[in-house]
Amino acid sequence: MPDTAIWNFRQLAHHELDGFGGIGEGMSIQIAKDGRRILWLAHESAPKNFTGIDVSDPREPKIVARTDLPQSHMRSNSLETVGDILAVAYQTKEQGQQPAGFELFDISSPENPRSITFFDCSGPESRGVHQLWFADGEYIHMSSGAPDFKPTHPKDDQFYRVIDVKNPSKPVEVGRWWLPGTCQGDTAPPPARHPEGADTGFRPHNTNVYPERPDRAYLGYIDGGLVILDIADKAHPKMVARWDYHPPYHGFTHTVVPFFDRGLYIVSDECVRTEGGDWPKLVWIVDGRAEDNPVPIATCPLPPLAPYQRRGARYGAHNLYENVPKPNAWKSDRIVLATYFNGGLRAYDTSNPYQPAEIGYFVPEPPARSPSGAIQINDVFVDERQIVYTVDRHSGGLYTLEMDF
Amino acid sequence: MIESLFAGQGASPFGRRQRRARGPRLPVIVVTGFLGAGKTTLIRAFLARPEGANTAVVVNEFGEVGIDQALLRSSSDVTVLLGNGCLCCNLRTDLQETLRALFADRARGAVPSFERVVVETSGLADPGPVLQTFATDRALGREFHLQALIAVVDAVNGAGNIARLPEARKQVALADRVILTKSDLADAAARDRVKAGIAGLTAAPLAVAENGAVAPGFLVDEPLLPQRPIDLGDAVHTHGLDSFALFFDEPMPWACFEQTMAALTALRGADLLRVKGILAVAECRGPVVVHAVQHLAHAPVELENWPDDDHRSRLVFVTRGLPRAAVAQLFAALAAVAGGAPTRDATAS
Repeated sequence: MPDTAIWNFRQLAHHELDGFGGIGEGMSIQIAKDGRRILWLAHESAPKNFTGIDVSDPREPKIVARTDLPQSHMRSNSLETVGDILAVAYQTKEQGQQPAGFELFDISSPENPRSITFFDCSGPESRGVHQLWFADGEYIHMSSGAPDFKPTHPKDDQFYRVIDVKNPSKPVEVGRWWLPGTCQGDTAPPPARHPEGADTGFRPHNTNVYPERPDRAYLGYIDGGLVILDIADKAHPKMVARWDYHPPYHGFTHTVVPFFDRGLYIVSDECVRTEGGDWPKLVWIVDGRAEDNPVPIATCPLPPLAPYQRRGARYGAHNLYENVPKPNAWKSDRIVLATYFNGGLRAYDTSNPYQPAEIGYFVPEPPARSPSGAIQINDVFVDERQIVYTVDRHSGGLYTLEMDF
Repeated sequence: MIESLFAGQGASPFGRRQRRARGPRLPVIVVTGFLGAGKTTLIRAFLARPEGANTAVVVNEFGEVGIDQALLRSSSDVTVLLGNGCLCCNLRTDLQETLRALFADRARGAVPSFERVVVETSGLADPGPVLQTFATDRALGREFHLQALIAVVDAVNGAGNIARLPEARKQVALADRVILTKSDLADAAARDRVKAGIAGLTAAPLAVAENGAVAPGFLVDEPLLPQRPIDLGDAVHTHGLDSFALFFDEPMPWACFEQTMAALTALRGADLLRVKGILAVAECRGPVVVHAVQHLAHAPVELENWPDDDHRSRLVFVTRGLPRAAVAQLFAALAAVAGGAPTRDATAS
């Protein structure tokens, strides 16, 4: 069993979350009214929905709340907080199952999250919401199905939706967009499918919107590559750029993080196959100075294949730290933090974007209850104190770290 | 440079601002000292502590191949033996190749992960060439940072070695910190003699080892710069090695520092044994760390913040036959030409 490998990070604590340490890709900080700093985590799969952890002292995280999903065929996976409102995504295993959508909670009392409303996205060809972005307190941008959406291919069942939640009790859809050809009735032909086994769908994963450009949405569009939308008119989003690099690469573009001031995009793939089956899954540096013509200029050095391929489960890129536009989140337009499943958490300096340099890593030893016998670092968040929170997908729970580079 | 296409408003003239001088580079601690001074014992004691985890050790054994490596291997996951010879001469290339190979092996998972390197030099090694090795990106300066140069001096033989052997004097003069060992085996007079010998060569911090060990931080931490003038007294006249510090109250233009150092290097580079310091640079938001060895200057590193409350520029020189007054006057002359005024230095205090 490999030991923990650590360079230029300092581990502060590890909390296995009492046996429910499988965490998805929702991580958000709330400062409670009494001053406590609560980290809300979405679980990767049932039975748990979300967990709130007091990380005021990052050396001693303490669970303050944990909730259950009503159905075993649901997963929450994604969440965000703004003030005392928590938004949680619900996706079902199969199309047509319920409940599928998102739920808003009042977390003014962190120990007692109280449901405000449930926004239904279920439908005969919908699995609900995989991911949501909620940063300004007014709109949720999400990857979701809908009761009235009929994809041309079942794997393209989610699309970009904007929901107005200014009145949290009555969310209202204000706009939607999908890749032309993925909805029945489109004039454009359906996109060519990726090869058998690598066909993971033309649908959005992350749907990021930043105050620097409130008229833009940055989408990782899975098998469709990078997509940038003009959302100045939210009712009528328009595509302004697309960068599709598959094939020859294996699809599943996951996250797009703009470094606005520098004219760069950081783009991650998601590894979705085990033992390097879709290697290489990468973090890309893309020149975005000409918005309508994104140009890839480098990739972050990938952890070497040989020592990781057979360690178990997935090995390759996944989530990025997203410069979350909230007061209690860290911002950097030089440092990239990326998660690589069994390759751990990696830090890169992009000062020279043509030659991003690895400057730190944290690869914890496999958690005791790991079903694969491997660590699967899944997501990362950094607060304004520069405390790093990173999570394991299956059993390891939460790790708190300091950056030391 | 091509990366300036993507500089952004937060850019600095010297790249990303760092938390400390080494930035993300791997720290290297070089331990010098004569045969029998207790280097291996010190390193073993460090490796046995929690702070010593994740350390790779490179041993340069002169003569009896492998003895020290065998002693160290039990306490470190990664121990590499350099070939038979003295590090400062024919083995400088070996050190480069060894550290490069270690870095590459670590990246491809061929050796366990480590986050610092301790280099134990052979007793006779002149640390000058080792310093040069870390001074430029062409060799090792991009991946590795010379965190601390440690001189180990034993209380029994140290005074005699310093008196007789130029290598011993240079080890002490160039060191960031000095460790005195075996003081329990020497009488009070011998201890006083060795301490006087050390004080005549350097103002670097001195620790007395207990049972062959010192506090881990004394071995591996980034050195602090002096806050007071350095005065080595009359000893300088006998051995010719001098160490002094210059202090400047006002920020200086980068060109002023760069051109002063260019003149010093052109005229007396061979005698600039070591220059290190932290500068308030007019064009920079944070302080700038500088480091030079003879003709080689490492790329400057801008820090996010000052390491302490003293925000004066501080430069420490270790020179051979190059007096403080001459260096201070050169800085003052260029500052006057630049129209600014680093108004004060150690000679005036």
